[in-house]
Amino acid sequence: MKLKKIIWVTAVAATVVATVGSCGVKREPGTIYMPDMAYSRAYETNALLDSSMFTSSEPAAGHKIFYNRRPVPGTMERGEIAAYTLPNDSVGYRMSAGVVNPLGPLSKQDSAEAARLFNINCAICHGAKGAANGPLATSGKIGGVANLTLDMYVKMADGTMYHSIHYGKNNMGSYASQLSRKQRWQLVQYIRALQPKPAAATPVMASAKTDTAATAAKK
Amino acid sequence: MSCFRKNFNKVLASLLFTAFLSLSSSVFAADGKALFQANCANCHKPDKDYTGPALQGVRERTPDPEWAYRWINNVNTMLETDAYAKGLLAKWKSKMTQFNLKKEEIKDILDYVDAYKPETTDGKSVTGKPAAEDSNYLLYGLLTIILAIVAFILLQVNSNLRKLTDDKEGVRRGEPVPFYRDKTYLMMGVLALFFTGGYFLVQWGIGLGRSKDYQPEQPIYYSHKVHAGTNQIACLYCHGGAQDSKHANIPSVNVCMNCHMAVNKYEGPDVLTHEDGSAVNGTAEIQKLYAYAGWDPVNKKYNDDKDGDGQPDGAKPIEWVRIHNLPDHVYFNHSQHVKVGKQQCQTCHGNIQQMGEVKQFSDLSMGWCINCHRESKVDFPDTAGTGGNKYYNIYEKFHRDMKAGKIDSVTVEKIGGLECQKCHY
Repeated sequence: MKLKKIIWVTAVAATVVATVGSCGVKREPGTIYMPDMAYSRAYETNALLDSSMFTSSEPAAGHKIFYNRRPVPGTMERGEIAAYTLPNDSVGYRMSAGVVNPLGPLSKQDSAEAARLFNINCAICHGAKGAANGPLATSGKIGGVANLTLDMYVKMADGTMYHSIHYGKNNMGSYASQLSRKQRWQLVQYIRALQPKPAAATPVMASAKTDTAATAAKK
Repeated sequence: MSCFRKNFNKVLASLLFTAFLSLSSSVFAADGKALFQANCANCHKPDKDYTGPALQGVRERTPDPEWAYRWINNVNTMLETDAYAKGLLAKWKSKMTQFNLKKEEIKDILDYVDAYKPETTDGKSVTGKPAAEDSNYLLYGLLTIILAIVAFILLQVNSNLRKLTDDKEGVRRGEPVPFYRDKTYLMMGVLALFFTGGYFLVQWGIGLGRSKDYQPEQPIYYSHKVHAGTNQIACLYCHGGAQDSKHANIPSVNVCMNCHMAVNKYEGPDVLTHEDGSAVNGTAEIQKLYAYAGWDPVNKKYNDDKDGDGQPDGAKPIEWVRIHNLPDHVYFNHSQHVKVGKQQCQTCHGNIQQMGEVKQFSDLSMGWCINCHRESKVDFPDTAGTGGNKYYNIYEKFHRDMKAGKIDSVTVEKIGGLECQKCHY
């Protein structure tokens, strides 16, 4: 009955392997059929080929495909606001007060969009109302968050506020890679709408305020 | 006898009915959970006060049990008319977003919240769950084996008995064939092998090119549970590409540094663990990030760029391992789904705000896509022609049908969401 024994042992072993082998974390993606249909040969963002075939560093470009996602120097996207040229130093910071917001009053749609962007990018620290009570500020993870409703920020020039979003300030990083120039200016206008009305408000701010009053409280 | 049979039938029917009931109630609970996660979880927790109050038992503490149903869909008007609502605003300082949920949906959410019990977060109980499922399988396996052995013994006994009776009655039969050469047994064995083998082969074939549950080890232990869960950072803060482009995008290191210039230590409250249960040193992981960014944490500034490549010396991109991967022959656009379709990230990526290490939640199969396109409603203007996405004004027939009451909503399927060339071209 040797054969019988062998059959039994294999059967039991197979069941045990099947039940035990199915647990644990799956570290391998699995098999793919027809890889030439699955993986793009053209350039794709975040594709596996990125780091092996493409480079953005010019010295390494000799044996790899040089790919630089930045716009060609001296060019700009159609409809985009002209580049912000003031340098990131104390002189630039002082001069930024003279930079004027190139956008007109926000339309209803624009201010809703600005509110959405503010809630995603800014409210995490500055709070939905700009009062420095975002989750990261109240949990004490990031200190020194500006309360945008304070008088000093009400008095701060539009350009200086833009300068701070563009380059970052103190603990705050630069948001130039996450927000377009237009979006950054819209956010400046939205912050104005959150602030208590200063004595001498410009017409731009006043109209932004009425538009955003309804959306400001949302979320 | 017939009476017995009648009773038996009755018992069977009631058993089936209760089984069906328990099944359907579990389906509702799952719905409530999904709805809660998608709509409420940003500001509410079932058992703890958060941005908004804890929701457990909300129907008991409001002025009347129906109050919550009215409130959720009429926040803006009730804030001006209802005294209890005004009190809430005064206490919580932030106005709740107004929703547009059906009454049964709200009921599902509140039922889920009332039945909610907090999960313990220590590693043991988390790993305990799948283990319990496995032991169930083991139990069934053992039962099957035991039953098979019993059947085998019974068959042997049967053949022995028959042999005895044959001997007694003087019937002569040929020498009995051992079971492994008996043609019936062999045939049964072959068939069993054929069907089980075929089943596993087909399952394997279907699984080709799908990587559900894929959870690769990343160069940095980045916990979505800490960032998106505890710290409530919006998904779009880092994955902003999802609203503007085809790709959701892995953030570049400078986005990490927006916060990590200030946050240089990990101090909890979540306990981070590897798959084997050992603790993750969060602070060491942040140090890894600094190395990638070329940031000097002591002097709090980026390294100088002495080699002139436009980046701080030592800085290099983090080679994250991509998890979600659609084949090249499928076109998928994030912005279409996030911005126009207003889908929550969690619909496809699962409860990402509770994942320590991210794993693929959906199998990303075509059937899964199609299913969602059949069920999801597009943001169609209502019968009065207000609200919704103005783009859908071109579907005049559906507008007429809605006015005539023939349909009450338009799914993605109806506006061509199942056409092959929508995704394959």
